[in-house]
Amino acid sequence: MSIKIRMRGKTKGGIADIKALIKHPMESGVRVDKKTGKPFPAKFIDTVEVTVNGKKAVDAQWSGAVSANPYMGIRIKAEKGDEININLSDNTGDKGSKKIKLK
Amino acid sequence: MKRRSFLKGTLATGATAVAVNAGLLTPSTVLADWNSKAFKAKKIDDAIASMFGSSSTSNSGDIILKAPSIAENGAVTPVTVDVSKMSGVESIAIFASKNPLPLVCEYSFAGPAIGYVSARIKMGETQNVMAIVKAGGKLLKTEQEVKVTIGGCGG
Repeated sequence: MSIKIRMRGKTKGGIADIKALIKHPMESGVRVDKKTGKPFPAKFIDTVEVTVNGKKAVDAQWSGAVSANPYMGIRIKAEKGDEININLSDNTGDKGSKKIKLK
Repeated sequence: MKRRSFLKGTLATGATAVAVNAGLLTPSTVLADWNSKAFKAKKIDDAIASMFGSSSTSNSGDIILKAPSIAENGAVTPVTVDVSKMSGVESIAIFASKNPLPLVCEYSFAGPAIGYVSARIKMGETQNVMAIVKAGGKLLKTEQEVKVTIGGCGG
């Protein structure tokens, strides 16, 4: 199953403000189900990679302590029309990616 | 129902295995390794040491850490770390000191990226949010207390 991502990017003075919203439960594996007394199995995004025109810009590693439906805001030196690509995967192997052109 | 989900699961893993074997997944789509040792560390110093190779940090006033002084909902605490004026920023990590697993997230930068990160993190109780910035081979630290009012009015 692929992970849904919404991403926007705007450039101003050579700096792009990139915002991404990701739809994901981010279950840490620590939270306990009160009915059964067992923890909910962990399911969270652990690696995120952002590239600009194919070149690596940001590499992130997350734990289950990132909020559900994560938000990521980053800034990159880039110009209008540059291609921003985000790739991510969670600990169960689900993946997601999104490509945008900077406005 | 169980049988159905089981079948689905096996089919899905089978498909990935086939894709890998067929070379459909090129190495460039395989993401960087997840530092499980740092993320599973229960003590903040151990987490810093496993992530950065050293746990000696110095306080810095140049890190702009933005976090609410009172978070009404600890499950969604907005945190921003801004070191865009600093040169040679290699990575930013965010820690929640009293969480069962303190390391929350780590961002490393290359090429065109600027030292700026905005995220939303989970906090179980009132505690300090700590940002560690690796710049020019040094580890710089700043922290701020966030009061978490669970189900409170936020006053």
